[in-house]
Amino acid sequence: MNALRREIRASAAGDIERTGTETGTRRYRFAPGFIGFSGHFPGNPILPAIVQIRAVVSLAEEEGGKTLRLAMVRSAKFIAPIRPDEDVWIRYRRRVDSGMDICDATLSVAGKTVASFQLELAERETPR
Amino acid sequence: MRPEYALPMAAERLIPHRAPMRLVDTLLSVHEGRVVTESVLPRTSMMADGEGRLDEVAFMEMIAQSYAAFKGYMDLLEGKPAGAGFLVGVRRLEVAGRAYAGDRLLTSTRTITAFGGFAVVEGSVTRGGETVASGIIKLWIVEDGR
Repeated sequence: MNALRREIRASAAGDIERTGTETGTRRYRFAPGFIGFSGHFPGNPILPAIVQIRAVVSLAEEEGGKTLRLAMVRSAKFIAPIRPDEDVWIRYRRRVDSGMDICDATLSVAGKTVASFQLELAERETPR
Repeated sequence: MRPEYALPMAAERLIPHRAPMRLVDTLLSVHEGRVVTESVLPRTSMMADGEGRLDEVAFMEMIAQSYAAFKGYMDLLEGKPAGAGFLVGVRRLEVAGRAYAGDRLLTSTRTITAFGGFAVVEGSVTRGGETVASGIIKLWIVEDGR
């Protein structure tokens, strides 16, 4: 597991709350010292878009108990910046579409949607 | 062209990202709208796991930073303060391969369209001639806003 994934998992502020067989939610809080803020950007820390996507993949891994890889970002919208110490709620829905494992996710801060994704996930292959 | 503007050029001169979140090292070329940058991530990168394998999300960031390096270079040539850019969208970005710390990765980008402060850019990341990721991103450019 890389350092980014470790720190994302450590930033989970609660357990996964399953709201249905395929849906759930979890709260995260990324502290000012979170590795993803380092250099992005000096004096103006913003949670990188790729960290937001990685957080959803990591959440799907924990929810399903499998190590996953990101196969495709079908679509993603980043609507507003996420700053340090904000409570970020990730809502997800897992489903299968055309044989692909899909994860739809929405990130919100203070009740407002700040990002939404549709990701294709696949089980991670064995190391080379 | 003045020698100080010759390529290749260190990306750190052109983009606001800094280590460890700066994933592009060098702007190699800008030719007929096609931009090529180079990345070699160290084993200590936050993106590399114990096997050295890079996280798939790194490729998306390389495409975004590659475009940012191009914009920074254009601003430099025009003598303008560099604008800031934010990733606002991604469409059908496929990860088809894998890459490892120490690999020389080349990222190519081409602007599909630019309007009203937004740019739509197609990009790909290759490793030894093999495409490991490709797709389309959308950025919002804030002129003189860095």
